[in-house]
Amino acid sequence: MRAILTGSLAALACAGLSASADTAGAEWAPETFTLSNGMEVVILPDHRAPVVTHMVWYKVGAVDEAPGKSGIAHLFEHVMFKETDDLGPEEFTSVVQRNGGQLNAFTSYDYTAYYERVAKDRLELMMTMEADRMGDLIINDDPEGPFISERDVVKEERRQRLDNNPGAILQEQVMSEFFKGHPYEITVIGNMDEVGALTPQDGLDFYKTWYRPNEAILIVAGDVTAEEVRPLAEATYGQLAANEESPTRGWREVSPISETLELEHSDPKVRQPSWDRWYMGTSFIQDPDLAMALTVGLDVLGGGQTSRLYQSLVEDQKVAIDASSWGWLTLHDSGPVGLSFTPAEGKTMDEVETAFMAEVEKVLEEGFTEAEVDRARNSLAASSIYQRDSQEGMANLYGRTLAVGGTIDDILNYPDNIRAVTKEQAIDALRTVFAPDRNYIEAHLLPSEGDDQ
Amino acid sequence: MRFLTRTALPAILALGVLGACGDSGLNKEADAETAATDAGGEFEVTVHDGDFATIQQFTTPGGISVWLVEEPSIPILAVQMAWETGTASDPDGLEGLTGAMVYQMNEGAGDMDSLAFSTRMEELNMGFSCGADTESTYCSVNMLTENAADAMDVVALALNEPRFDEGPFERFQREALIGIKTRVTNPNFLAGQAIEQALYPDHPYARNTSEESVSTMTREDALAQKNAIMVRDGLLVTAVGAMSPQELAPLLDKAFAGLPASSDLTDVDDVDVADPIAEPIVVDLPQPQSLVRFVGPAMARDDADFFPAYVLNYTFGGGGFESRLMKTLRVEQGLTYGIYTGISTSDHLNLWTGGGQTKNESVGDFMAGIDEEMTMIAEGGITEEELSDAKAYLTGSYPLGFDSNSKIANNMMSVRLEDLGVDYFDRRNAMVEAVTLDDVNRVAATYLKPENFTFVVVGQPEGLPPDSATSNDDGDVSLEDAGDEEQDDELEADE
Repeated sequence: MRAILTGSLAALACAGLSASADTAGAEWAPETFTLSNGMEVVILPDHRAPVVTHMVWYKVGAVDEAPGKSGIAHLFEHVMFKETDDLGPEEFTSVVQRNGGQLNAFTSYDYTAYYERVAKDRLELMMTMEADRMGDLIINDDPEGPFISERDVVKEERRQRLDNNPGAILQEQVMSEFFKGHPYEITVIGNMDEVGALTPQDGLDFYKTWYRPNEAILIVAGDVTAEEVRPLAEATYGQLAANEESPTRGWREVSPISETLELEHSDPKVRQPSWDRWYMGTSFIQDPDLAMALTVGLDVLGGGQTSRLYQSLVEDQKVAIDASSWGWLTLHDSGPVGLSFTPAEGKTMDEVETAFMAEVEKVLEEGFTEAEVDRARNSLAASSIYQRDSQEGMANLYGRTLAVGGTIDDILNYPDNIRAVTKEQAIDALRTVFAPDRNYIEAHLLPSEGDDQ
Repeated sequence: MRFLTRTALPAILALGVLGACGDSGLNKEADAETAATDAGGEFEVTVHDGDFATIQQFTTPGGISVWLVEEPSIPILAVQMAWETGTASDPDGLEGLTGAMVYQMNEGAGDMDSLAFSTRMEELNMGFSCGADTESTYCSVNMLTENAADAMDVVALALNEPRFDEGPFERFQREALIGIKTRVTNPNFLAGQAIEQALYPDHPYARNTSEESVSTMTREDALAQKNAIMVRDGLLVTAVGAMSPQELAPLLDKAFAGLPASSDLTDVDDVDVADPIAEPIVVDLPQPQSLVRFVGPAMARDDADFFPAYVLNYTFGGGGFESRLMKTLRVEQGLTYGIYTGISTSDHLNLWTGGGQTKNESVGDFMAGIDEEMTMIAEGGITEEELSDAKAYLTGSYPLGFDSNSKIANNMMSVRLEDLGVDYFDRRNAMVEAVTLDDVNRVAATYLKPENFTFVVVGQPEGLPPDSATSNDDGDVSLEDAGDEEQDDELEADE
């Protein structure tokens, strides 16, 4: 619960390749309007069941944290569940669940989101309560009070997500090198010592700066229309005052990797080595054409069982048990594209790396066939049709796209844009990011020395 | 990697059907139950117009029993099929065979080898995959309606002419051996294995794959297992999407035509759960935070105490931030990111399980807190307000489980597998409402006593009683005992 999006390996593997949405038709379209205080509203109609997903996305994330205050965006998200002028401690959750609602929140580098899923006749109550904590949160400053115990909860969360997991520990080290000098270099949950030093005052400062209606987006997906939602939104969120001046986001250019590095992490819990290489990619915001071409190219190169890398390394040569390429292109600033493999039993990292990179080079030199590019384009485009089955998934897609500065048209045009990528563009994109003169961060996850299990 | 065995945390299982629910249905015109005979076809369709879904029940001319919900708003179709035999039927010495079999089901059929089969699925933008748990085996197909006939041809080929080629079979073996190697540092696997060995060491549910079983099995063994499990007798099918019974029936009949009529596999015995172990079992694993899991007996799904227990579980540890365990151990004491309990029921094994993680230094406090909450709820029961909060959530949230085609398809299959009846969705909230405070408190006194539970701690815990049982000193378990990497496998296919 109250999840954090740190970009775990699993999330990385799919994040860059998943931005998409419905096109299929003129018969379905989102509705949108803006409140007088600047809060943007998007309605995603889905009348199959009398339920709604109500989400508020704040345009603030870990990227916006002040130096030394890592983890405040996420810890503050926990604090949002505590207390307001109208609701007692922990009462927010009680009221939602008594009304048959499910709720949660999550924090990422670029945004923070809160949601409730309820029967449609409870939507107004959810909007009232969510607007209440946008305007009137109370932060208890008792030095032994709920802010402090919540800090302990977050430290347990960090242990559970990262410190218990050798792969996540290595990934944290890789990201710190990859994003050096950029706020993304510190993981969303924050450094343990900095989280431990955060104070209620830090929370209050953060709240006053960022939690304003003009810094937020409302998404309502489900059995509603804009006509129904508009008066409710005006009566709740619409009553809150905008910031006089919008704060400046922490976004900035990600520097190229200054030198090629190899990082190793060994741990007695690791029983299967693995290998990753991170190259500088881009993002859908920074360079949409390159991101679109990379999405297709990475899918053909290493996107699944039919991909070039899997067929060569796993099926034909049998030197790896997995081989893939991936991209993380949904951040606001540039993110990584990468290559990964897991060596087969009895194969050394070096020999698999040699075979793996030889295959990459071969593909880059020879290029793709029209048929494989066509299959990739079609399945990426078709994913937008399947995506419509999930009300929560649709609310998430629109929320995260808009929160990083994308548009509704970006989502609606995704299938057409993907279909427009040519096989030359797809391979050229890979030739650009994996060019021999590009630096990279290579990461080896290894068993502990002398551990022969 | 795809390994299919038991689900890791049974806590979630009972929520499948219970916590799920509802599509009001857009196009409901029929009254409660109407029987309609298809004018042109040869089979009868019975329409159950329920509160959450309009379910059409029919038996195809080929004899396949189907529950269908027509949902025209998105041009997709999901079909699920299930058989009530799972990994517990693996022959002795061939543990993991059903997992090997389901792995092969989308790895080539007819004249298509593995690559050609995958390529064909990509061309059709379809998904088809199979899985298994201890008591059932299932396959799931997702397709675009415009490709339905071609997609179901692919499924028909997979079911009727699977290849089980050496290439993908050996790939399965390689992956399974890696899984056996890596699971010995997987805290969830270690906790599950310790519980199995403590409570039902001799039952098939406690068996795991081994290097020997994986290396011994052959593709012929896997094919024989397929023919023993995937038979027409007892096959359950559910479907949700933009398709009518008359359109769907012939596609299904073609898909299942070549399956054997029946099987002589015998069912496993009920699990005789052993007495709880008084002291916590500690499995040493070098990590800063320990996993704590506790398991005790529960009642069967059709027991009169099941619904009281289900409601009670919400207040105790199933209700997220509203549960007593979460309020005390997370919100008040900051000891954990999360602690949850759940009731896991199945044909032969019913357990009340819970768990959470805390730093090694605070394991003693964490376990003392769990013990205290158990004692308090067993001795004092819950309040009227807690009961009404639990019912309000459990009934009010039920429709949230019916807002997508895939959720409805899953819920219908759960109802079919558990034989709850086509009107179960409509009756379920009334059964929750009927639970009384006396029922709940009697169930709490019976089931939630700390002495009913066996505790396992995986990590390097501090503050435990000195005589805690240590299951092994070096953090490893013998490969003979070890099982597959455990992973929740959904009925859904990957896309």
